Amino acid sequence: MKRLTRASLTLVAALTCSQALAVTRGGQLVYGRYADSLFLDPVLNDANLDIWILTNLYDTLLQPTNDGKGVQPGLASRFVVSKDGKAMTLTLRPGLKFADGSPLTAQDVKWSLDRARQPDAGAWSSSLASISSITASGTTVTLNLKTPDPTLPAALATFNAAIMPQKLFTAAPGKNDAEKAKAFAEKPIGSGPFVLSEWKRGSYMVLKRNPYYWKKGEDGKALPYLDSVRFEIIPDDNTRILKLQAGELQGAEFIPLSRVAELKANPRVNMTLFPSTKVNNILMNNRPTLKDGTVNPLSDVKVRQALNYATNKQALIQVVTYGTGKEMKSYMSSTTPLFDASQKGYPYDLAKAKALLAASKFKNGFDVTVLATSGSADDLALLTALQQMWSAVGVRLKIEQLDAATKTARYRANDFQMRTAAWTNDINDPSQITSYYALYSNIESVHTGFRSAEIDKLFAQSQQETSRVKRASQYRTIQSLYLNAAPIVYLYETPYPVALAKNVRGFVQIPLGNNIFAGASLEK
Amino acid sequence: MHSNYVLKRLLQIIPTFLAVMLVVFLLVRLLPGDPASAILGDRATEEIVARTNRQLGLDRPLPVQFGLFVLNLLQGNLGESITLKIPVLRLIGERLPVTLFLTVYAAALGLLLAVPLAVLAAVRRNTWVDALIRGVFQVGLSLPVFYVALQLLTLLGARLGWFPIGGYGTSVPEHFYHLFLPALTLGLNLAAVLVRTLRNSVIEVITAEYVDFARAKGLRAGVIMTRHVLRNALIPTVTLLGLNIGALIGGAVITETVFAIPGVGRLMVDAIFGRDYPVIQGLTLTFAVLVSLVFLMTDLIHARLDPRTELS
Repeated sequence: MKRLTRASLTLVAALTCSQALAVTRGGQLVYGRYADSLFLDPVLNDANLDIWILTNLYDTLLQPTNDGKGVQPGLASRFVVSKDGKAMTLTLRPGLKFADGSPLTAQDVKWSLDRARQPDAGAWSSSLASISSITASGTTVTLNLKTPDPTLPAALATFNAAIMPQKLFTAAPGKNDAEKAKAFAEKPIGSGPFVLSEWKRGSYMVLKRNPYYWKKGEDGKALPYLDSVRFEIIPDDNTRILKLQAGELQGAEFIPLSRVAELKANPRVNMTLFPSTKVNNILMNNRPTLKDGTVNPLSDVKVRQALNYATNKQALIQVVTYGTGKEMKSYMSSTTPLFDASQKGYPYDLAKAKALLAASKFKNGFDVTVLATSGSADDLALLTALQQMWSAVGVRLKIEQLDAATKTARYRANDFQMRTAAWTNDINDPSQITSYYALYSNIESVHTGFRSAEIDKLFAQSQQETSRVKRASQYRTIQSLYLNAAPIVYLYETPYPVALAKNVRGFVQIPLGNNIFAGASLEK
Repeated sequence: MHSNYVLKRLLQIIPTFLAVMLVVFLLVRLLPGDPASAILGDRATEEIVARTNRQLGLDRPLPVQFGLFVLNLLQGNLGESITLKIPVLRLIGERLPVTLFLTVYAAALGLLLAVPLAVLAAVRRNTWVDALIRGVFQVGLSLPVFYVALQLLTLLGARLGWFPIGGYGTSVPEHFYHLFLPALTLGLNLAAVLVRTLRNSVIEVITAEYVDFARAKGLRAGVIMTRHVLRNALIPTVTLLGLNIGALIGGAVITETVFAIPGVGRLMVDAIFGRDYPVIQGLTLTFAVLVSLVFLMTDLIHARLDPRTELS
């Protein structure tokens, strides 16, 4: 018996090995996107449409791991943090080159990070705010810090810390950084696995293999395996799926969750649900009065908790996500580092919901209005289900449908009671979502108006805490405090649904959303 | 006389444009939400939004903004797209030919379908042929464009594999091939509108006395049909076609989305959702110019077909 197991294990290992050696090189993968990128500068923007492509063009010193839990070496083969936590020394790999063949030096690194951390450089400069100065010599870059910063490795693995060629960028036409960025972003040169070779806006974008890429594949030769990736812009979900089924695409993103089961049953399609950091929730206005001066029932913590208990998440997961979702138990996704698995969330409990409401000032129920995104079938399915669930405890939910920009304008002005919302992390660290969801000083806890002195204090400490164990315990407390205060209605986590042709191997969409084509290949 | 008329009409267009521009300029600014929030997303802080609005010049008083816009316009500058950061003129230059190609293609297919079928229906009026033609187009007219588009895609594209599913292609023969299904979708819709009018006018003409006279002269049926009947019957159709081409240009939005065509229709939708003011303004201006030109051309063709028309 034992021998048999060992023999079969050897066989499996041998098969895996030969399969690994047999990876096919070459070919073009055609991938259907729902919308085009806008502007390919890593520092001056903040749209997923750009971020999720940028990582194929530009490389960072460190990289997020594919499971979303941490960082791995990138352009820097190693990094060392000083004992006092106030300096980080990174060693660059030898012989690094940009996609045009020019060398990538420590000076390029210093220049790129200096550009990214200027206070008025886009919405992201704060991720590198702990750096006080940078020195570069040979293949070594030293970041001197104002305070120890446990988030720095993750920040260095994030798109805005991409390393750009200083000489080429400064040689681009334009009077200032913004103008040069516009010119450079038309024909960007980075050191990522691919380089932009053609871009017909609104129609398609072709990325060609960067022949100077440093990372090696399973066959010992330089990645990527593919000759090129072609992104076709196909806004209509049905058309994207039809094109994939007809073999005109080898990959299609944002498959509606309602069609996942059907595509899973299709033998020619490999329907993949990549784990994501996406959390779906309802943001509540926690302020005592609304914009028009009326009393806001949602300012009462008992009411907010009651709504959470009155929400049948399992039913919603079936109705809205067609069984692909997962109950949300913390404000951060279970794929976020330092997510606390012991969080209880709000299990469906109608009796508890009724008891909580009875103990509040709103015993006879109340009306509440929720802002939804017009045209979103998911929002409508979710909210009509919630209407029924909450009517059981006497809460009458009214749905107000608005286009995205109007919805944003309304909640920015704090002129709302509830709104549907979703969040995806851009960085492999819990600090990002926490600073937005739980900190009043940033954007009033995504405009809910929630504030907790205790969370503020813990968060400030955690931003300088170098012990991972202590930081995890700070985050455990933050998650519990937030859960009890219930500033949001906890709903569900959802994956990234990508439909691939059967012969596509090695493509990954990581939990942050980045599409990683470096290790993708088209098997014959 | 005609060239004078054309010049006068072209000059009349200018105040129309100014009025259109002012209305659009004010309307987009009345919409809730601003471009900075749209580009920066939900999570930007107030300071960053304010800074971006300042950089875009959106913090200035409205009359100043409008004045600058008109001043730039006079120099042939439509400004720069806020989200894409490239000149609006270039964007429109890249996208407009696609929509025009589609519109002309659709109009041609529409006419190719409508004219023979309308004549056939008129000649065989009140028979089952007439009933069938009218019935089919009546149903076609009542089906939503996106539904017809998806059905054509599924059947002729995915199932039979005769046509590519969306896209635009890179060469002119490819454009014809790729745009066939979307042009057919729009063409069917257009034909449905035209068939009824054209059938009725053909009936009206073939029962007229001068046609009887032509027949008595011994002219062949084909000659009578092309030279006498169609020429007269087409007059109301041309007007209707002109009106509908204006609608086609504006209505390409749905077709362009379903068939993934990079035209101005989709650009407009994206611009509105992104509150990309310069793009919305530039496109409105372009649509206004196009529709005015189509109307002018319609009037000229009308005059050509019917010499009694007085152009003034």
